[in-house]
Amino acid sequence: MKVADLLETRRENWRELEQLCTLLEGPSRRKAPAPAIARFSVLYRTACADLALADAYQLPPSTVHYLHQLVGRAHNQLYRTRTFDMTTWLHELFVRVPRRLFGDNCLRLAFVVFWGVFLLSAITAYHSPEFAERVMGASMMGQLEENFSEPITGRRADIGGGMAGFYVYNNTGIGLRCFAFGLLFGIGGLYVTVFNAAAIGAAFGHMGTVPEPQHFFHFVTAHGPFELTAVVLSAAAGMRLGFSLVDTRGYTRTASLRRAADETMPTMGAAMVMFFLAALIEGFLSPSGAPYSLKAAVAVLSAGMLMFYFVILGYPREE
Amino acid sequence: MADQRGQLDTSIEIITPENIAFQYHVAGPFRRLPAYLIDLLIRAVILGVAAIGAALSFGLLGLGPMWWMGAILVFGFVLTWFYGGLFETYYNGQTPGKRLMQIRVVSTNGQPINGMQAVMRNVLRAIDAQPFYLSALVASMMNDRFQRLGDLACGTMVVIEERRWFEGLMRTGEPEAAKMAGLIPADFQPSRTLARALAIYVQRRRMFSWPRRLEIARHLGEPLREKFNLPPATNLDLLLCGLYHRTFITDRGEDEIREGSPFLEMQTT
Repeated sequence: MKVADLLETRRENWRELEQLCTLLEGPSRRKAPAPAIARFSVLYRTACADLALADAYQLPPSTVHYLHQLVGRAHNQLYRTRTFDMTTWLHELFVRVPRRLFGDNCLRLAFVVFWGVFLLSAITAYHSPEFAERVMGASMMGQLEENFSEPITGRRADIGGGMAGFYVYNNTGIGLRCFAFGLLFGIGGLYVTVFNAAAIGAAFGHMGTVPEPQHFFHFVTAHGPFELTAVVLSAAAGMRLGFSLVDTRGYTRTASLRRAADETMPTMGAAMVMFFLAALIEGFLSPSGAPYSLKAAVAVLSAGMLMFYFVILGYPREE
Repeated sequence: MADQRGQLDTSIEIITPENIAFQYHVAGPFRRLPAYLIDLLIRAVILGVAAIGAALSFGLLGLGPMWWMGAILVFGFVLTWFYGGLFETYYNGQTPGKRLMQIRVVSTNGQPINGMQAVMRNVLRAIDAQPFYLSALVASMMNDRFQRLGDLACGTMVVIEERRWFEGLMRTGEPEAAKMAGLIPADFQPSRTLARALAIYVQRRRMFSWPRRLEIARHLGEPLREKFNLPPATNLDLLLCGLYHRTFITDRGEDEIREGSPFLEMQTT
């Protein structure tokens, strides 16, 4: 059979496959009738077979090009993206992530770096106001002092809502950025971590020297555990990503990076949950006039939850 | 699998579960940048509409402007970090901008991406965007698939998914070509590479002037003319067309039957 005759016999099939592709790409995909979908898979297989035999049939290059794009287009409709499955995500978040983090050297390093720099910066700022001013900048220092010069009496709930939104936008964004910057061989993440730790430490140290330090500490107690843990977690996930490029464990650099990426995304999911919880507490409870004992109880409870998550859920055991 | 060392163009070969190899063209920065800009615009419009809508509905519900600000900030956060990831997950590897530019994100092995890859590659955009997307540009120039850092970490690539229309078989258009086909010995079987060269020649010859056609046809036509013992005055362009006619359209002997058929006339555009 000559090519011309062959193309005549196939042309109808290909055109029908094109129409079915258009149907499946469109918004009415879910309403596509079952026979059409069955027909689609048959036509896809025949188009695949035609492409496989294109060389043997001596099809002209323009037809081969056409077949490549037709098969590619149909392939993308047959094999569609897998969406999130809630149960696997819960399993990932509450079973696999804590176990992975329990033995994660990057988390230990991020923990030591963050708290080390934090303490160092806090102690230095406590003793030297110039240091605090150089780290935070005079305007931010003045604003902090002004904000916490009065005792916390509570504010209207709508302001709390607005501020909670701001904390989600700002703090979670910082966490995600910290994670993404880790990709630069871990150095980017390390830089952001050190920078954050120094700034927060300086704020803590400096606010210890003002006439009435308890206002500030009343404010930060309740949301501190979730927020600071989430920052450390983002930094650790970023470092894991970056260090996978340095220590490849025998894989190629790209393959090593991909393995690390699979592991760290769920960790970032956990960090984001913590950022959200922290934002809610920071927006509503921390600035409220609730007694300090309540805020301290929330802090203890959230710290206990974190301990449970990292130590009890994370403790290595048989699957 | 898809790694073709020494490739000259941007095609990437994919092997499907049906064990068929087909080719994609990977999308370079000149397609991806407009797609990104379109998405940026869409994002801005969505945020604007949401802000106005929320302001109206919150006003009706009697909620204060701070509630509105909080809601918009949360919405803005989701839009900034997860617009791409969510669209690529639920829209089969495309965002509206990508759909307009006819590109799609797939895994490097040709499989569709999963939700995690989609979200991850868009979160890592933060590092690709530093400074002014130069990281992405440099990274994508250093591999064969134009992958930016986020793509490298997630094992994804962006491919072009253009719709082409089936053109049918090119007809030579000249009745002389069919006659010329009759002069070619019946036992001559063109090789696959020769057949492919003929197809490309016939497809493109219309774009050339007559002298240029003869100049190109000479390289293949002269050896063939000597092989077939044709007179020296033979038009080499027509000889190649005749051979094409013989290879792709009809066998010897069918020429007379089919030449006047309406089917052939219809195709000689």
